[in-house]
Parts: sequence; structure tokens; C-alpha cells
Amino acid sequence: MKTAFCFDLDGTVTKQEILPLISKEVELHEEINLLTQLTLDGLIPFQNSFTLRVKLLSTIAISTVAKVVDKVILDPHIIDFIHANRDNCYIVTGNLDVWVKELIETRIKCDYFSSEAEYEGDQLIGVKKVLDKGKAVKELRTKYDRIVAIGDSMNDCTMFQKADIGIAFGGVHNPVNSLVKLSNFVTFDSQSLVGILQNYK
Amino acid sequence: MKVKNVVICAAGLGSRLGLDTPKCLVKLGKHRLIYYLLETLKAVENIRIVVGFKEEEVIEYVKSIREDVVFVRNPDYSTTTNSYSLHLGSHDLIEPFVTIDGDMIIDQKNFQIFVDAIDVNEDLIAITEAKTEDAVFVHVDEDKYITEFSREPISKFEWSGVAYFANFKINKDGQYVYQEIEPHLPMKSVMIDCWEIDTPSDLDLVMNEVSHIF
Repeated sequence: MKTAFCFDLDGTVTKQEILPLISKEVELHEEINLLTQLTLDGLIPFQNSFTLRVKLLSTIAISTVAKVVDKVILDPHIIDFIHANRDNCYIVTGNLDVWVKELIETRIKCDYFSSEAEYEGDQLIGVKKVLDKGKAVKELRTKYDRIVAIGDSMNDCTMFQKADIGIAFGGVHNPVNSLVKLSNFVTFDSQSLVGILQNYK
Repeated sequence: MKVKNVVICAAGLGSRLGLDTPKCLVKLGKHRLIYYLLETLKAVENIRIVVGFKEEEVIEYVKSIREDVVFVRNPDYSTTTNSYSLHLGSHDLIEPFVTIDGDMIIDQKNFQIFVDAIDVNEDLIAITEAKTEDAVFVHVDEDKYITEFSREPISKFEWSGVAYFANFKINKDGQYVYQEIEPHLPMKSVMIDCWEIDTPSDLDLVMNEVSHIF
């Protein structure tokens, strides 16, 4: 049986939420943090919140953001698993392609699905398309018999609904309740998470 | 540690006990029941707990004791059996595992007796002196192999709810775990002291007999 592993990025593979990290570059840290928290708690929809947060951060040059993102701390156990199973692992992130491309290609080293940015040179204009994570899973269906999804937030719900196995992972913060209700497993420790993944390889 | 994986089933309503709380969260002395079980299992690498009834409360409490537990969800806990929970908790495991009910009191010494009796390639059942109200009795031959389970006739020993499975998987549609074991009899057994809390009188018994644990 061929299995694909779909990982959320922020707070799952990364040990920090990425947008609040970027916001330190402009003086909007508290505001972005608040929006991120409200989104994580499922109080405002990801799509609107994400578009708004991108707008707030759009004054920062893309290359500056990419540099910040590149320094984000990754979970070593999850990274080891991805590196060892590169061909069947995917990052499925609502984050912007121009912001996370470099990080995924150079440090995580697997294929990915992301939201798409509208930009001109080094200047971000806005969001062209917010990723529907369920659609990413649907796309992988043609190549795989089984899909395992790993995530923590509201925008992972559509991915869990379309996947065969859902693992709610509370690496950085507790996974949102709606996602827990769609999951088969819940864990807060990345070594335990990798332990589950090994059984589905 | 010979035992690498333990699956604890703690999804049920515990309706016979008549408390509006999962049995694993019943307070015994200073802590809740599952605290003592996790103490006993401290040296085990992988702990899985199957959760259902009031899963948020169980997860929150367990997480405060041990961070690396894997919770397996049984959302259909109110209409499914313990055997189904055990299926969910173990079907994907590649390695052998020990199963323990989430309403069990077992101290370190007795768990060690069980672990010492394990031969890694052979299934093993822990039996205990019959004392619970709804006992499933075991009949054991002179080599300590279980030959039969029964509600009647009774015997001196009962199925404890603790077992080591190396050679078979628990079916999805099983009724009771002992019925899942039945086709594989005879099976090696080991005698341990442990207590299970199904009813108020089981709870009284535990508080009287093994209060030293708490």
C-alpha cells in the first residue's frame, strides 16, 4: 500500500508559528500575534485572517521575509522522517509560496502545496490563491492508496476530512478542538508522532 | 524493557460504576486512577491510550503527567465495545504490545512479574485471583496454559484484562477481548495481583485492600 504523508507547516514541522516571526520585522508583532491566535482558535476564518495578515506584512520585501523564514526552528524528529521518506512526504501549507519556498526546498526537502502570492519583483502585492488543503489531498489521491494528514489548526480540517488517517499534533499549541474531532490520533510529542508514522510507511 | 508498546483502553462510559466521569479519572487517594497506572508503566517507551467518553478531560489530565502519550480516538465509544477500542489502539502496530484496561490498579512489582514471564514471541495472559463482580473465569492446565474462559462454571482465577499479544490482531467486530483470545487457546498464563474497577463494590474493595498504593 502506497502512503502519502501530508504535513501542515506552521507549528507542525516548524516549532514556531511563521507569521508572528515575520511580523517582528515591522512593528506589528502584537497585532499579527492576536490575529494568529484568533485564527488558531477558529474564531476568525483562515482565509480572511491570512489575507489580512499578508496585507499587514506586504511592506516587507519578499527576500527579507524569506531570510527570516529560513531561520525558523524545525522539529528535528519530523525533519528526519521527511528526509528519510522524501518521495512520499508533502508540506501542505496555507502559507505563501514566495515566503516558504526557500525553506521547504533547502531545509525540509520535499514537495509542497501552498497558497500563491501576487507579486512584482521583490514586492508582495497580495494573495492570488489561498490553498484549500482538502484539494491538495484530493490531488494526491491519484498517486496514493492511503493518505495520512498531520496538523494542528482550523485550516487543516479540510485536509483531515479528505485524508484516511488524521493525526492532530500539539507540538507548539494544543490542536483546535474541531480538528481533534476529525482525527484518529492525538499527540503532543514529535517522537511519538514519528512512531505512529512509521507504522503507516 | 521487554515491553515496548502498551495500549490502555479508557474510552468507555464506565456506567456500572455510576459516576459521570471516565473510570480512569476516578480519584483514588491523592491522584486519579490512570496516574498510578502511568507510574507503573514509567519505563515503557510507547504508551497509547484509547479515549472516547470525555476525551478532552482524559487527554488534559494524562498530558499533565506524561507528554509523549499517543491518544487513539474512539468517537463511537458509546455504541462499541472494549474490544473495538483495543482494535483501534493496536491494529496499526507493527510490534507486539501489552494491553491493559484503563480502570486497572496494578503495582510495579506485579507488572514486573508479568513482564518477566514474557517470552517475546509468545502470547501471554495475566490471570488474577477471582474477585470482581462480573468475572470472566479462566481454566488453567498444569503447565499454566489457559484452556478455557467461562462466565460459568466459576474457578479460582479470572482474566485480568492484562495481556501480551505477539501473534495475532484484535478484530474490529469482536464483542469481548477474551472472546478474541479464545480461538488462540491454549495460551500461556501468569498469575499476578491486580484490581479492576467496574462497580462501586470493586472500588470499595480496592480502597480497603490496596490503599497502600495510594
